[in-house]
Amino acid sequence: MKLNGEQYHDRVTAWLTGFAIFWSLLGMASGVYVAAELVWPTIDFGHEWLSYGRLRNLHTNTVIFGFGISALMATAFYSVQRTCHVPLFAPRLAWFCALGWQAGMLGGGISLLAGWNGGKEYAELEWPFDIAIAVIWISFAIVFFGTIAKRRIQPIYVSNWFYGALIIVVAMLHIVNSLAIPVTWSKSYSLFAGTQDAVVQWWYGHNAVGFLLTGGFLGMLYYFLPKHADRPIWSYRLSIIAFWAFTYSYIWAGPHHLHYNAVPEWVQSLGMVMSLVLLAPSWATLVNGVMTVAGAWEKLRTDPALKFIVLSLAFYGLATFEGPMMAIKSVNVVSHFTDWTIGHVHSGALGWNALITFGTFYFLLPRLVGAELYSTRLANWHFWLALAGVMLYVLAMWGAGVSQGLLWLSLDEIGELSYSFKDIMASMKPYYALRMVAGFTFFAGAVLMAFNLWMTAKGRRIVCIAPPPPVREGA
Amino acid sequence: MKAFDLHRKLERHSGLLIFGILFVSAIGGLVQVLPTVLDARLVTPAPTALPYDPVALTGRDIYIRESCGTCHSQQVRPLLAEVRRYGPFSKAEEFAFDRPFLWGSKRTGPDLHRIAGKYSDAWHRIHLLNPRAVVPDSIMPAYPWLAERPADSGKNIQAKMRALRRLGHPYTDADIEAAPGALQGLTEVDALVAYLQGLGMPGPGGAP
Amino acid sequence: MHARLLVLTPWHFVRLMIRPSDAGACLASAAPETSAVLLRLVIPLSLVPPLLAYIGGAVFGWHLGGGTPLYISPAGLTLISLGYFVALITGFLSTAAVASWMADTYGAKREYGTHLAFVVLVGMPVILASVGHLAPHAFVNMIVLIPALIWSLYLLYRCLPAALGTSPERGMLMASSLVAYLLVAGVSLLGITVVLWTGGIGPTLGV
Repeated sequence: MKLNGEQYHDRVTAWLTGFAIFWSLLGMASGVYVAAELVWPTIDFGHEWLSYGRLRNLHTNTVIFGFGISALMATAFYSVQRTCHVPLFAPRLAWFCALGWQAGMLGGGISLLAGWNGGKEYAELEWPFDIAIAVIWISFAIVFFGTIAKRRIQPIYVSNWFYGALIIVVAMLHIVNSLAIPVTWSKSYSLFAGTQDAVVQWWYGHNAVGFLLTGGFLGMLYYFLPKHADRPIWSYRLSIIAFWAFTYSYIWAGPHHLHYNAVPEWVQSLGMVMSLVLLAPSWATLVNGVMTVAGAWEKLRTDPALKFIVLSLAFYGLATFEGPMMAIKSVNVVSHFTDWTIGHVHSGALGWNALITFGTFYFLLPRLVGAELYSTRLANWHFWLALAGVMLYVLAMWGAGVSQGLLWLSLDEIGELSYSFKDIMASMKPYYALRMVAGFTFFAGAVLMAFNLWMTAKGRRIVCIAPPPPVREGA
Repeated sequence: MKAFDLHRKLERHSGLLIFGILFVSAIGGLVQVLPTVLDARLVTPAPTALPYDPVALTGRDIYIRESCGTCHSQQVRPLLAEVRRYGPFSKAEEFAFDRPFLWGSKRTGPDLHRIAGKYSDAWHRIHLLNPRAVVPDSIMPAYPWLAERPADSGKNIQAKMRALRRLGHPYTDADIEAAPGALQGLTEVDALVAYLQGLGMPGPGGAP
Repeated sequence: MHARLLVLTPWHFVRLMIRPSDAGACLASAAPETSAVLLRLVIPLSLVPPLLAYIGGAVFGWHLGGGTPLYISPAGLTLISLGYFVALITGFLSTAAVASWMADTYGAKREYGTHLAFVVLVGMPVILASVGHLAPHAFVNMIVLIPALIWSLYLLYRCLPAALGTSPERGMLMASSLVAYLLVAGVSLLGITVVLWTGGIGPTLGV
């Protein structure tokens, strides 16, 4: 069974999967809690660690960086070995990377609650954590590209390009955007000021979405969807074109977060045009995914997890369409600063990122431990809870967002503002209540998954798998 | 097809692929972000502008610590309704001393860039400590701990000003010398109110 | 057996809506003419929500929250109701078109009439819930529409395989693809509405 005693290093993937599930539960629970605080503002009990501003940072950081990155590391380590037919390069470094990331997230999460805050959205962690992240990220790069360098099959499979782009581009964004002069352990001042800081921050912020939440998870899709479906990707050529178009055009779109703000007109216009261009590569990938799965429908009979991936593609389609649309200035003028943005983010984060990750975990974990999934029924329940949760969330935020945008800007017959800010804010309560219920529904589904996967893995050992024997090129 | 032959090469050499990704993804930043960062006009303060005084600077850092920017923007867009509601629209030169910028992306609460002078200091103090005492429908959190802590509890105001001076903020030695004295006896809520009352106004406290 | 016979009346579709287990087979039993479905179901049903919205808006004014209700002039209301009607018709026809376009991929029936009838069945709960428009309060409408929408989603996944003659697995895939289309169409509608507003059609915005 073994070749030269070589085995894939899958324990690190199993542990990262566990960590990712932990962060998803913590992140969603804190999300539901902050959603509840918008309905009942006094449930922070006057305690600063439960205060909305701090807990919300914990929510965003744990779901994006705790859950998202842990899941991406887990699947990158798993798939890079199998697409290169070699075990991980520097497995100890992989463990350093995996555990270091968890330690950083744990410390970082506590620091956010304690009020350490760099002040930039989705980059709140202060400079000591920024440095730690950079070091761990470099170890991730060494393990990943080292494994690719020693691969036994010549062509580098497309999932690895997306993971590779994730590693390279996020490193670039993180390092530039975190440049700051430290004052104390918990305080630093950005190297950039005002308008320049805004442009740099949204170049970072938008492309963290792009290369992490879109590109990274497309890496997951390109490996696990064909695996699930047991057939090759529908069009490999399309995936090549889509990859380069995506990598080139995403990076320009950041300024659509700054429409009508105090940044130069040409930067805004360029940001809008490139956001529209972005639709093409995003949907090329969508077509590729849908056509791959369309031919593999027999698999759905035996594999409940494939449903999650199918649904995640639907929400991927929505999010990648909605984004460019909201980047159009005449839409953005109404949608900017409203809850529509929050709805858009969650159609991507819940509908796309979380669902594809859940689908992947339902596939991955039983294989890692060599057992059947504990309960298909529970997985089906999870599916319906997730669908209802994300649907209600998106609808609540569409309702809230469009109302806010309309009412804030409404003028009466004599050109005066029609509504006071206070009244508009007060009228959001029902939408916020619905959003809380929707978030809880989605969270409840994730709890079922955690239980299901725990029961699947409990008391079992990781299966040892050896790489296939080397084949000669062209054989 | 030639393009695909080229790609065959790319997908067989990990080094080339890394370089390709780096190159292709950097173009946008180089053409769009770099010129913005090098355009000094965007961060040249208006002639009347002064950097934040020690009290406002302390208040601003509390604003950042509590993530006020999660729910409050500081960016009045040049739209009729927005100028009616908040005041003159925001201009780039007003943010030259803002590290980081605090424009925000969401208005759960109202924009604050022109909040200065709209309410009294006393109103702000009550509102920060218990928002529902003055705005019954408010969903803003209460910040009771701000009243309990001295504004200079970190004893680092001079270090902060020196760091900012290295970044080009025109603090004199005398300014830095006098800073701890200015914070003497103030609580965090005093500093935060001072920051809010200077927001978007000419002179000390930031904007031109 | 009589219940299994497809009758092209709104009432029959309401009965099918509450009996999802029969509805799919019933739709599959007939191959309705497109024109018949259009005339007897799509057009009459698409008139209902705009009419209710007109009445609600004219009598009570729209409460989007924020104090005073938004009264729109009769001409404005007519325009909105007309736009609503066109949007609904377009929604029914385009969804059915997308569904029949996808049919080959998912091994389903290709007749447009059947697809259109199926889309009407799926849309039925939402059409009924538009009775909420009589109380033109954004929140009331949301509360009524959400359970209706969930019921519609359930009908979509539940009835599609039988109604369009494909396997449950492929039906699940096809239903998800239709969800994707509906989401994109929904957000497009929002986008178009907002662009019209900022372009000066509808409420006065200070942009």
